[in-house]
Amino acid sequence: MTDAKHTPNRTLEHYREQATGEPPAHLDALILAAARSAVPAPKPGLWQRWLRACQQPRWQVAFASLVGIALMLSLVQRTPEQVPSYDFAPAAPVAKQEAEAAPPALARSLNAPAGALSAPAPAAPMAESAAPAQAESFSADMADEAKASKRAAAPVKSLDEQLREVLRLEKTGHPQAADKLLADLHKRFPNENLSARLKELQKN
Amino acid sequence: MSRLKGFISQLFAPASSTEASSDEALLALYREGDGAAFEILYARHRQGLYRFLLGLSGRAELAEEVYQETWLSLIRSGSQPHGRATFRTWLYQIARNRLIDHWRKHGVHQPLHDSYDEQAHALPDDTTDPEQLLSLSRDSQRLEAALQALPADQREVFLLRAYSDLDLPQIATLTETPLETVKSRLRYAQQKLRRLLAEEVLT
Repeated sequence: MTDAKHTPNRTLEHYREQATGEPPAHLDALILAAARSAVPAPKPGLWQRWLRACQQPRWQVAFASLVGIALMLSLVQRTPEQVPSYDFAPAAPVAKQEAEAAPPALARSLNAPAGALSAPAPAAPMAESAAPAQAESFSADMADEAKASKRAAAPVKSLDEQLREVLRLEKTGHPQAADKLLADLHKRFPNENLSARLKELQKN
Repeated sequence: MSRLKGFISQLFAPASSTEASSDEALLALYREGDGAAFEILYARHRQGLYRFLLGLSGRAELAEEVYQETWLSLIRSGSQPHGRATFRTWLYQIARNRLIDHWRKHGVHQPLHDSYDEQAHALPDDTTDPEQLLSLSRDSQRLEAALQALPADQREVFLLRAYSDLDLPQIATLTETPLETVKSRLRYAQQKLRRLLAEEVLT
């Protein structure tokens, strides 16, 4: 008895050498053609899959909605704050104190159109000798504080307007009221020469 | 990470490396859309598979039919060999199952399912002389007749070993037969073939 493991596989080799069977050519052609036609499409990359998804209507709607929401959010967040009308804007208590302490030229800048972002300062005397550049820089510094407190402030007339009111009251026969208003103005603007300002207005 | 490595290796690999790839790698490439990978795979196994089927069925028409069905089912299935099975084992398993299905469908007696007494068919081998072995018949009809004279179980193991180049454990897995039984079947088949072919030469 021989062991196939230990004897040379002469019979196997003999059959391998003498074998002649071949699959027919038409079968080869048929199988290879079937394989070619059934070749699965190469798997697309991430970028290609994304592009294909974009071409499908349901994904188009989804992407368009997403982009729309993003646009709306960016627009909402970038909307500039409404520019206050400085003629009627309230004055903040803090800004008011600053304006009172500030030189007349600087106080004036708070009311000037150049400082459009700032809320109007409380009534301040007009001064003609201030440098415009200095006024602008101060106006920019004051703008934030004035903005922050503008809602809390009450509307106040300018000093000139109130002085004109004093003159009007005197002319219309209300000297007591005029005196009272002038006294109030002296309290509010202790550093101002109200009498000289009043005379100046009378001349005009 | 492994997919990235695979991609990089494919990117910089020379074109000839595809031909040196394993059967499993070629099948995977084909499943990913590389048609040329299938052609290499087919060229490797077409002859062995056909000869196995021809020897096992004994009829060229049936062998061709099962051969075609085997490849087409492999193309269309889209699956891969499972577990530890190699592509070669998988391919021959498909072919064997197809042939058994054909026999079952046509009511043909299934010789592979016969219970077979190995010892009863084992005759003493007196042709171990190398000189005598060299003079085995080279007549293809006699070779074929000797092969068909083998019991189907032995013939199957012999054909798998001769043409598929599967090792014995793989044949045992494929045929769902104990390894020792496979070894003895191959041994008896070789003995009988040597005897038959030598007798024919001597006569």
